[in-house]
Formats: sequence, structure tokens, C-alpha cells
Amino acid sequence: MASSATATYVRNIWESVKTTLVGMRITGKYLLQKPITVQYPDERMPIPDRFRGIHYLEQEKCIECLACARACPIDCIEMEAIRHGKELEWISFTLDYQKCMFCELCVYPCPKDCIHMGTEYAFVSFDRSEFKHDLLSFKGMDRAARARMKEAEAKKAAKDAAKAKADAAKTAAKDKPAADKPAAEKPAPDAPKAGSDAPKAGQDKPDAGAAAPGAGGAG
Amino acid sequence: MQSGSNAFLEALRAIAPAAVPDWVLMVTAAVIGFAIALGLISVAALFFVWLERKVAGHIQCRYGPMYAGGWHGWAQSLADGVKLMLKEDLVPRDADRALFIFAPGLVLAAILGAMAAYPLAPAVFFGQFSLGVFFIVAMSSMTTIGVVMAGWASNSKWTTYGAMREAAQVVAYEIPLGLSLLVPVMAAGTLDLRAASAMQSGLWGMDWLIMPWNNPFMLPAGVLFLVAALAETKRAPFDLPEAESELVAGFMTEYSGIRWSFFFMEEYAAMFLMSAVGAVFFLGGFESPLTHLAAQIGGTELFVRDAAGTLAFDASAIPYQIVAGLTLLAKTVFGVFLMMWLRWTLPRVRIDQVMTMGYKYLTPLALLCVVGAAAWEAIKHALWS
Repeated sequence: MASSATATYVRNIWESVKTTLVGMRITGKYLLQKPITVQYPDERMPIPDRFRGIHYLEQEKCIECLACARACPIDCIEMEAIRHGKELEWISFTLDYQKCMFCELCVYPCPKDCIHMGTEYAFVSFDRSEFKHDLLSFKGMDRAARARMKEAEAKKAAKDAAKAKADAAKTAAKDKPAADKPAAEKPAPDAPKAGSDAPKAGQDKPDAGAAAPGAGGAG
Repeated sequence: MQSGSNAFLEALRAIAPAAVPDWVLMVTAAVIGFAIALGLISVAALFFVWLERKVAGHIQCRYGPMYAGGWHGWAQSLADGVKLMLKEDLVPRDADRALFIFAPGLVLAAILGAMAAYPLAPAVFFGQFSLGVFFIVAMSSMTTIGVVMAGWASNSKWTTYGAMREAAQVVAYEIPLGLSLLVPVMAAGTLDLRAASAMQSGLWGMDWLIMPWNNPFMLPAGVLFLVAALAETKRAPFDLPEAESELVAGFMTEYSGIRWSFFFMEEYAAMFLMSAVGAVFFLGGFESPLTHLAAQIGGTELFVRDAAGTLAFDASAIPYQIVAGLTLLAKTVFGVFLMMWLRWTLPRVRIDQVMTMGYKYLTPLALLCVVGAAAWEAIKHALWS
């Protein structure tokens, strides 16, 4: 009995010394190896495929069909644009990231495949209002759209003018003496009207898009 | 080595004109020594807090502080110190105000006093302590009074628990600590840290006290000393007085700001001193191959007393003094690192396990070592003299 107590005592000492040394070997190994953590703001972990971060909008493809806004289960997408024929003059396209749950349901219905889930995930702000984030890369119209619009308007004006001319010729042929004067003046107010639309569109400059915050602008 | 009572006093005596009364020199020397000791404690605390966080971080596969100051966050504890100084100095309403404010000061004063026995270099020291080890152990035990005072004065159950544990733990571990230090004291035949270090000055550490041919009981005594010193400085796995996960922060729960940092300075200064004692007795003190080399270059005594009894300053001894001082410092830092390594390796033990270990294991083993070492020394003396 006494000898077994002594044996336990000696074994306890031996075990505690041995296990301490084993533990120190393990922690010493970790001490010497490279840390596995990442210095976050400077370096970032690789982002997996199909990551659902802050949305990315291809604005020039978007047709303001509101399909994404309708698909959104919590109605956090709002957009506003003025239509000039086929072209759009953008005012806003906002996502409220206080509501958004990153479900990706807005991405699937898009007919033009222009809204995507991005890779940016850090969205920090001192102000709640900034979480209503504008996805537009520029406000108003871009240069190409304006050129297309002008071309279309010019074409339309030319077409109208031609039509008016043809009409005038027709009416002149029909009753020569009586309606000649008023019919000739009719296309005249039409032409300045088509011309006056262009400078109005030109007031909204495409470089207003610089004011739109980028996805990383919050950092 | 036996050049006088205080290196600073000797230096002042050598510089000052004869008209200056001796007590002025003594007070000046005391002030200089105090300033150096306080600076040493502060810098040691700052450095060891940073080192602790780096060691803890890397053991857990992370970096630890990386930003403050640039290179690996070297200024982190400096920034923390500034923050602590600017924090509000809170005293709980129901606390014993006088004791609450006095306790951290007492803790710091005790460890500052113990610092007086730390030899900076063979000839640069705060005072001639022929009972150096005894003094350090006695003074660092005095911090317990401050800790118990802080725990009681805070008037909170956590702090009282912490203080009770501290008292129980220090009483239990003071015995093996003293006994394990008796072994090198017997082997060296002196309690003076500088004298004990000077005995170990053979080449390649052949004369280190820890070498088994000098005394085979030194190695187990060293292990016992390490364990007892961990408990004495209330470091993990014996950090029951603090025990942040069960007692919030133990005896310092109610403290904040600079008073709280006094406790931390005390903890790291106590670790530093215990490691210094361990380095002198178990790791060869000032001695290393480099020290040996430096001793060959120039003299070893800073102040040489000629036949007429006047003191002369020997500048050729400066390299030796610097190398020797840095050697001891390096060994001391290694000792502190060992304590940190153990802290981040072992989980905290229960209070009954602490008591079991102290009374049932360390004390009998230390006694065994003392008896064995005494017998060894007696036989050695009988055979060789």
C-alpha cells in the first residue's frame, strides 16, 4: 500500500514534467511557424466564386425595366430615369443596404444581365443615410447615348421635314390658291421644336457621374 | 569587485571636488540610483508587455500588435501607457478610499526596493547587498501585502477572493522558493548576487553552478525555482489571484487607469527580478564566452584602489562591464520568455491543485534537494580540503 502511494507520487511528478514539456514543444512549434492570420485592411482573404457582395451595375446596358426592383422581396431597390426615346437620362439607382439581405434574387430576372453581385463586402459609414447606396457610375446620359439620341432626333426631324414637305406639296396640289400659305408655314414651327430638345438634354452633363460614389468609396 | 558600497557614489566621489560634504554625494547617488531603477522598471514593463503580446500572438498563430510605431507594433505598450495615464482615476463609493489609493503605491514601492539588489554590471550596482537574494525574496513578498490591501479595500467579492488566493498561494510557495534558492546559495557559499556570479567565470560555462559536476542537485532545484517563481509572481498557470475568466481581474477588478498599470508594472518587474535571480544562480550570471572575451581586452574593475587608498577610474574596463551587463540582461529576458512560454502553454490550475502542488510536491522535493546539496557540499569539502 505504501509503496503504491509512493509510486503514484513519483509518477505524478514524472507525468507533470513530461506533459509540460510536450505542451511546450507544441506551442514552441507554433511560435516559430508563420502566423495564419491575415493583416486585414492591408491584405484580404481570397474571395470565393459566387460570393454575394455589394451589387455591381452595368449602367449602359440597363433599360430601367424595374424587373430587379419587382423581384426584390424587401423592396430595397429604387431607380429613377428620364426617357428620351430609347435613351435614358439617369437620376438615381439606389439599393438600401440596411435592408438588403444579399439574396441575389434581383440578379436573375434582369433581361439585359446588367446587375451582378460584386466582391466588395466592407461597407462602413458614420451615417445611416449613406447605406442607401447609389449604384450609378454616372448621372445623366453618357456621351454615346447622347450621340445616338441626337442622331435619332436628327433623323426624325429630317423625316418630319420630308413628310411635311410632301404633305405641303400634296395640299398645294389639291387646292392651290386657298390653303397655300398656312400649309407652307405648318412645318416651320416643327423644325425649331426638334432642334430645341437637344440643348435641353445637353444641360445634364455626363461628367456628373463623377459624383456617384463607387462601391469602395465608403472605406 | 569589492570597490565600495555604491558604484554611483564611487563615481561621484571620483568626480566631485573635496569640499562637497559626503552626505550630499550620498543623497545624489541615491537619487540617481532611484531614477535608474524606476526607469528600468518602467522600460521593462513596457517591453515585457509588448513581448508578452507578441509571444502570445505567435503561439496562437497570429501576429499580435502590428501597427503602433511601425515595426511590429513596438510602440503599442507606449500608446497603452498614455491611454492609461489619461483615464479617469475611479475609486468605488464603498471602497476604503485611503487603502485603495495606497495599495498600488505600496506594491510598486516594494518591487522598486527589491530592484536595488539587481546588479546592472559587475561594478555598476545600486548597493552592496551581501544578502542580495534574501533581500529580493523578502521585498518581492511584500507586494503581497499591497495585493491583499487592494483586494480588501476594493470592497468587492471578486477582489476579496483574489486577495485571499494571493495570500494562500504566496504562503504556500514562499517555502519551496526559499528552499530551492538555498541550493545554489550553498553551492556558491554566498547570498550576494555579484559574488555568486563572479564564482562562475570559467570558460565555456564549465564553472556554472548548474553544471552537474559542481552540484548535481542544482538542476532539479532550478526547475523547482522556476515553478515556485511562477506562483510567486502570480503568473499562469498559477494566476489565480487575477483569474480573469472567473474573478474578472481578481484583486484589481476595481482599479483603472494609472493605478491599475502599477499592478502590471509590479507583475512584470517581479518577473524580471525573479528571472534575474534565476539567471545569476542557475544560468551563470554575467558569464558567457563573450564576457570572457571582453575580460581579455581590458581591465575588469571600473574603480581601482591604489596602495594609498585613493580611487582611480579605469576606462579600459568599460567594454567588459557593458558586455557583462548585457549578458545578464539577455539571460534575464530569456527567463521571462520562458515564463511567458509556460503561460501560453498551460491552462490555469484550480486552487486546491495549487495548494497540493505547493505543499505536497514542491516543498518536500525542495527539502530533498537542500539535504542532498548540503551533503554533496559537505563531502566535497571533506575530500578537497
